[in-house]
Amino acid sequence: MNLKELLQKGPFFLDGGMGTLLQERGLKPGEAPEKWGMTHPDVITDIQRNYYEAGTDMVLTNTFGVHPLRYSLSECEEMVRTAIGCADQARKAIADGKERFVALDIGPCGRLLKPLGNLDFEEAVQGFAEVVRLGVKYGADCVFIETMNDGAEARAALLAAKENSDLPVLVSCAYGADGKLMTGGTPESVVAMLESLGADAVGVNCSLGPDALAPIVERYLAAASIPVLMKPNAGLPQEKDGKTVYNVGPEEFSADIVPLIEKGLRIIGGCCGTTPDFIRAVKNASAGRVPPAVEKKEKTIIASRGHAIELGKDPVIIGERINPTGKKRLRKALEEGDMAYVLNEAIVQEEHGAEVLDVNVGTPGVDEPALLEQAVQELQAVTDLPLQLDTSDPEAMRRALRVYNGKALINSVNGKQEVMDAIFPLVKKYGGAVVALTLDEAGIPGTAEGRLAIAEKILKEAAKYGIGPKDILFDTLTMTVSTDGNAAKVTLDALKMIREKTGCGTVLGVSNVSFGLPVREVLGSVFLTLALENGLSGAIMNPLNERMMGAMISFRTLTGRDENCAAYIQYANDLPTMQAVTPAAGATGGAKETEAKGLRRAVVKGLCKEAANLTRTALEEGRDSLDLVKEEIIPALDEVGQGFEAKKIFLPQLMMSAEAAEAAVAEIKKKAANQDAQASKGIVVLATVKGDIHDIGKNIVKLLLENYGFTVADLGKDVPPETVLEAVERLHAPICGLSALMTTTVPAMAETVKLVHEKAPWCKVMVGGAVLTEEYAREIGADGYGKDAMASVRLAERYMQEQA
Amino acid sequence: MKEGLRLAELGEIPFDEKEILRYAMLPSFAPAPEELPMKECLAAAKGAVQCRAVWCRYPLKRDGEELDLGFARTTSRGLKEHLEGCDEIILFACTAGAEMDRRIARAKLQSPAKGLLMHAIGAQQVEGGCDRLCRQLAEQFPDKQLTDRYSPGYGDLPLEMQKDVMTALDCGRTVGITLTDSLLMTPSKSVTAIIGMKERKPE
Repeated sequence: MNLKELLQKGPFFLDGGMGTLLQERGLKPGEAPEKWGMTHPDVITDIQRNYYEAGTDMVLTNTFGVHPLRYSLSECEEMVRTAIGCADQARKAIADGKERFVALDIGPCGRLLKPLGNLDFEEAVQGFAEVVRLGVKYGADCVFIETMNDGAEARAALLAAKENSDLPVLVSCAYGADGKLMTGGTPESVVAMLESLGADAVGVNCSLGPDALAPIVERYLAAASIPVLMKPNAGLPQEKDGKTVYNVGPEEFSADIVPLIEKGLRIIGGCCGTTPDFIRAVKNASAGRVPPAVEKKEKTIIASRGHAIELGKDPVIIGERINPTGKKRLRKALEEGDMAYVLNEAIVQEEHGAEVLDVNVGTPGVDEPALLEQAVQELQAVTDLPLQLDTSDPEAMRRALRVYNGKALINSVNGKQEVMDAIFPLVKKYGGAVVALTLDEAGIPGTAEGRLAIAEKILKEAAKYGIGPKDILFDTLTMTVSTDGNAAKVTLDALKMIREKTGCGTVLGVSNVSFGLPVREVLGSVFLTLALENGLSGAIMNPLNERMMGAMISFRTLTGRDENCAAYIQYANDLPTMQAVTPAAGATGGAKETEAKGLRRAVVKGLCKEAANLTRTALEEGRDSLDLVKEEIIPALDEVGQGFEAKKIFLPQLMMSAEAAEAAVAEIKKKAANQDAQASKGIVVLATVKGDIHDIGKNIVKLLLENYGFTVADLGKDVPPETVLEAVERLHAPICGLSALMTTTVPAMAETVKLVHEKAPWCKVMVGGAVLTEEYAREIGADGYGKDAMASVRLAERYMQEQA
Repeated sequence: MKEGLRLAELGEIPFDEKEILRYAMLPSFAPAPEELPMKECLAAAKGAVQCRAVWCRYPLKRDGEELDLGFARTTSRGLKEHLEGCDEIILFACTAGAEMDRRIARAKLQSPAKGLLMHAIGAQQVEGGCDRLCRQLAEQFPDKQLTDRYSPGYGDLPLEMQKDVMTALDCGRTVGITLTDSLLMTPSKSVTAIIGMKERKPE
């Protein structure tokens, strides 16, 4: 029986703790075990032989910390070679003919991946790939990725293992008592992600004892279609006579684990505090027990970092708004690389009840693969909703799937051979559930039977890649009812037929049905209701449309999915806020003069809604927009700015005034055809320098600069010098503002200043940030130092006057 | 877990609006702006914070100009002064957790004022966590006098020491803190510090 088969069969025994045993043999606290092992190979071999003798089938090599971010490549190679040699010697020392295995152990690399940290995903993959290749070179039997507390890192390591070896890969994560990874994954989301990426076994290790880990293991067993492993600590660490001891002994340890074997646990070992005695105890106590066969789960699951959802049981809302088709403002944002706009669309949809977000950034003139990758990466930093990756460009799909930290909904494949040839290999490699459109080379069949035939063809082709029906959802294509009176009926018939005949889930973009007709949402919401009644699993729709949401929520309420009608009542309560706010004209009343005073006062006081309302009223009454800016908004900002400089007004007050001014200007922009009202004072390129991830200060400067009429190109945080220069040159920006908060990132700032001065001598560079002083700024060659946000505005105004 | 490391049970740290405003740079005598989205931000932060802390006790030795902290050596004058009379130290790391960073990122997108406030909430929470840890330590060592906290990067104590702190406390594994290549901690709302301990003098 080979290793994969043994893992499938179980119970299969791993080793236990290493660190404690090494400390008993002379490892000092703070010393790295993998380094110490180089000079004490005999001790490592001895301990591992003890494990094999106690009943371990597979030991993990002493390579937990080996990673190119910690050691040079030649050190990594020596460590892997020595460690595998030790384990191999240990198994050879027992001459009983039984087959034993050696697993290449891989632990976390010590840095956190983007977007929480700043380690690039590909850099992480490359680092793990080096270690995996060494493991293969020196003869490891499998790869064991363990103690991962960030799903993204576990995923990077697994991908590296799959891309650089054919060995089985086991992946184990470390959970807190709350059943979550430190960066937020749940057992269900982690299983969905790792299983779809091709792990051979998944499980949990470290952090807790077997009793506390048991519920987490049970959740793994309920979710996984592959073998599940468990390597708990010997309980919790406690202090006794100045030493760390664990509070669970071998008997209790095995008593907690053995019942789990009957529930399906099949790979068992120990972590901190466990010894060969623990493994012996579990092995003896589990003699004769065989776990039930691994159960293949048939649910359709998609997942984000911390959140798995099932499709097909209850209908879900897939937010459609991140799609530039027919949306001018979004298209402009994408063209300009304004990711904040895209991210805000995500947040707004989530707040209105979206459960999955469709992400489509395809618009002429953009580099879609790069942009989709960036959007997917950044969206994951601000929302935990699963994403539906929506593109017809296979390269864009590949890059987005690579960085998506979960199990994505892939939109889409269809019956065309060429498209299936491009998309199915991606689904197989990266995992995901795929939306399949019922069309092919011959177009969209005009009958439900025709669409079913295509669905069956797609299922057959998917099966060749090992992609089962549970990971395929069909889209029977919503056509416009205004051009074909029968269109909606065919779509709905096909939906029902496919649902019944294939058992697969279904997805529809519902909005299209009403195209070209008045009061679209009436037709759309009824169509949605009909589709839901015919078995729709996912509706791609606008969650901000109250009528459509009303149809979805009513359907849930009427089909026993809304206990005590709670969701419906909540929906009803939220209704007024979902309606467009109509101006409360007359409510504030009074003559022009008082309103004007009111606006200035509203901005000074930081009253956003009032500032917007007063501006709207003033414009409606014929007040000139330029006049409003010059006479009301700017004087108000000046008053606040001077107060700030005199330390009479403080940062939160300044910011609220800035936001109120922004709200007023937004009203002007909405109404004014006269663009002169907002003629830009000039472009400022803003960035937090490379290595620095603090951007609160930079964002405040941005807000104020915009208030004062500057156009700001915000490059974000952790920005390399070359990127700053590129933006300054492209925009021929007269001013560049750089921010750094840490002493360690000031050198990067100095480098950026130097580069901009050298290559773009027309550009004035102003700097700011917690560690900087006037003197320090001069030292690194900056043109100016902004001690706070107001000072930066003053500097920018001075530079523009000098250039005029 | 490595020998000598202790995890603290910090529980939930109450939100303190006054402190939060202080971290948002509003002095105590100034009124908070009427529309400052404090309520919204607190609601968004609720449930996001999970304060974790790990600590370890080391003997403190003086070796000529150098301090031997047990996990690292330094010639920092500032720290030497701070640890005057101490014969032991406690090194700790405390974090408000990764989810708080996500909420901050989200708030920053919604509006700069929310971003500022959420960042201040994160600061109040991690500092509150540190205060609670220090109270627990004071209770645990009633016969010792504990100094204030002193962190790598303060005064002349180099930020480079963060690397030694991460290794000594096994921060990635114990509390989920890691360093970027420029020595910033992730999650960003994290604190590492040294506390000196000396025998409490009889009154």
